[in-house]
Amino acid sequence: MNARRLLAHPSLTIGIAASLLLALLGLISLVWTPYPIEQVQIARRFADPGLAHWLGTDHLGRDMLSLIMSGTLTSFTVALLAVLIGIGIGVPMGLAAAAWGGAVEWLVLRISDLTFAFPAVIVAILVTTLIGPGEANAVLAIGIFNIPVFARVARGGALSIATQDYVAAARLAGLGNAAIAWRHLLPNIMSLIIVQGTIQLSLGILAEAGLSYIGLGTQPPATSLGLMLRDAQSLFLIHPWLSIAPGVTIVLIVIALNIAGDGLRDALDPRLRRQELGHAAG
Amino acid sequence: MPLVEVENLRIDFGGPPAVDGVSLRLEQGERFGIIGESGSGKSLTALAITGLLPEAATASGTIRFAGNPLPTEEKTLARLRGRHIGMVFQEPMTALNPLMTIGAQIGEAITLVGRDAVPTAMPALLAEVGLEPDHARRYPHQLSGGQRQRAMIAMALAGQPELMIADEPTSALDVITQRMVLDLIAEVCRRRGMTLLFISHDIKAVAVLCQRIGVMRQGRLIEVGDTATLLAAPQQAYTERLLAASRMAPPAAAPRRLGETLLRVEGVSKNYGQGGVWPWKRPVLQAVDGARFEIASGECVALVGPSGCGKTTLARLIVGLDKASAGSFVLGATRYRGSDLPKGLRADLSLVFQDPFGSFDPRRTIAQSVAEPLQLVNTLSASEQQNRVAEAVMAVGLEPGMLARYPHEFSGGQRQRLAIARALVTRPRLVVLDEPVSALDVSVRGEVLALLARLRAEHGLTYLIISHDLDMVGAMADRVLVMERGRIVEEGRPAELFARPRHRLTKALMAARLPALG
Repeated sequence: MNARRLLAHPSLTIGIAASLLLALLGLISLVWTPYPIEQVQIARRFADPGLAHWLGTDHLGRDMLSLIMSGTLTSFTVALLAVLIGIGIGVPMGLAAAAWGGAVEWLVLRISDLTFAFPAVIVAILVTTLIGPGEANAVLAIGIFNIPVFARVARGGALSIATQDYVAAARLAGLGNAAIAWRHLLPNIMSLIIVQGTIQLSLGILAEAGLSYIGLGTQPPATSLGLMLRDAQSLFLIHPWLSIAPGVTIVLIVIALNIAGDGLRDALDPRLRRQELGHAAG
Repeated sequence: MPLVEVENLRIDFGGPPAVDGVSLRLEQGERFGIIGESGSGKSLTALAITGLLPEAATASGTIRFAGNPLPTEEKTLARLRGRHIGMVFQEPMTALNPLMTIGAQIGEAITLVGRDAVPTAMPALLAEVGLEPDHARRYPHQLSGGQRQRAMIAMALAGQPELMIADEPTSALDVITQRMVLDLIAEVCRRRGMTLLFISHDIKAVAVLCQRIGVMRQGRLIEVGDTATLLAAPQQAYTERLLAASRMAPPAAAPRRLGETLLRVEGVSKNYGQGGVWPWKRPVLQAVDGARFEIASGECVALVGPSGCGKTTLARLIVGLDKASAGSFVLGATRYRGSDLPKGLRADLSLVFQDPFGSFDPRRTIAQSVAEPLQLVNTLSASEQQNRVAEAVMAVGLEPGMLARYPHEFSGGQRQRLAIARALVTRPRLVVLDEPVSALDVSVRGEVLALLARLRAEHGLTYLIISHDLDMVGAMADRVLVMERGRIVEEGRPAELFARPRHRLTKALMAARLPALG
């Protein structure tokens, strides 16, 4: 997989560029925002977009652009950590299911069925009652939701790899299940996991917005896109811009990530590539 | 007037041409065969005649069917294909729709050509290809490979075509079924006076079926001639090589002295439970049923049988990939039942897989893959390991410098050599070879077999060859075991066994053998 191959998929280039741009916007907020986001100045509230405040100000007079930058960072961080939780726990589970089979596989599948049965919101409510609301809570809830997704993707991919002769050859070479999973199965399902990761990232951003919106996620004075929507909700008819700006940002992030995910799948999926070769060989 | 006329056909995928300047004429009622190795462009040529080239391909040159150039409009082209051309593909399992019964699919082919005669045409077609009327109600997975191929032929015949194109129709079938399908195609063509374009890498199958043969190599049609002339006096060196490769030379070496018993198989059975909710009610499939034989050290034993007879299952049991349901193996002095083979003994056994493309991890270098079994030999230092790998790779005739490369950079023949190197790297006593050359091109097969014979002589190896290719077995093996439905039904020296087969299956295998060339 070289750079030229990746660039041959225009949707991938556009998707990745847009995602990185939005992520960069969030990262910049770490070191610089046009105005500090905690700065409440009732005097300049509901300012229209203009030179001083590119995207206007909200009901507390905070700069919208600064809020969106910071909110984007929160969204990305929460979603990314949740994806890492999902990959970190789900992928080993899926690999174990494929490599050991039998009782292990049954257990993994039932655990993932059980986790699938609880939507992220239910888990979030549960976690809130235990440790209180906050970003960590959202990460945990979305992360738990991600685990069975990755477990299934990893198991499905690994099962098709496990029937290959080279896995049998590794078994003949005396490798145990864990070694086979690590050396042969994982590298060959990596592309599947990367693609699923991008998709879960965009779902995670949506979920974080949802959790913050119902008050289970990020808490003020920190901000997130979902929280901004919640603050603006009651003012929608008078100042629609306050809802539209964060809403559009969420939509842009999700679209960018989905385009990148689709592109990655096309570029990475070895099965698609093999088909091309098969046709060419005729 | 010729039925098909191809002039100066050139097909490329944006790079070097895959088919380059091919011209051929098929007379009405003629049976024409194209032979060539994988990537020679033979299938593309056939696809071009049907106008079914992949979209990425650009073709130039002219193709005339019954005197008229091939229509460019898709609809007219489809009608031409439906009414005048029938196609039979290599793998009937993927060419048939798994969710439709055979009858529905044949019926569809009949109605596609605009005749409402399904009720009358169907039984006639089924009878013509040798299927029972009640086969029509079955789904593809309920039929055997040969029956599926018959169903494909029935579909191809449904439109009363003038031309039938058969692209490797028998290479996925075992010897007996192959012969039946070839005979069926020949009979149908003769009866209907149909023109046949037969594509194969198997020169013997082509010789049986076709009146004229074209040889393709690297996109070019290098030689065309009548079957008898071409086989007797090939003009091109390449044709000569192909012919030589398909005539297996019997081993020159005298039967060597055999050592003591290396592996004893004692009444081994393997059952698989199939489906069913209740474990005790599941129907049991006996893949291997009380197999019993011995292999002496230094011997080369071949296990032959039709597909699905359990020979590969037995091989997997012997090398310890699976566990026997009953019976046991004795290797040297150790008794085992399959996957409980002690780790220390695993180095003594190795397996070479059939498909050289699936037997290497695409994400690991060849050096990593070949060195993998060495962890069974704990005593080696890192440099000794490297030496072993280099030694094994040189033994199979490749350069150690190639070791840093990845599997996709090697050809099929090279990969099979590397698979043999991997099998030898632990210096095993018994090497199990599962169809070691059947996935390879004809011209490479000879080299790989010669390599196997040389390695055996040099290292005193013991082979168990699993195969359905009697010619190969006759050339390689000291002793042949014939297997049917999990049982060993006959055994003997190849020369005697082939000359005087006793069991019904052995006789059938011998009868299905394609006649040797010239």
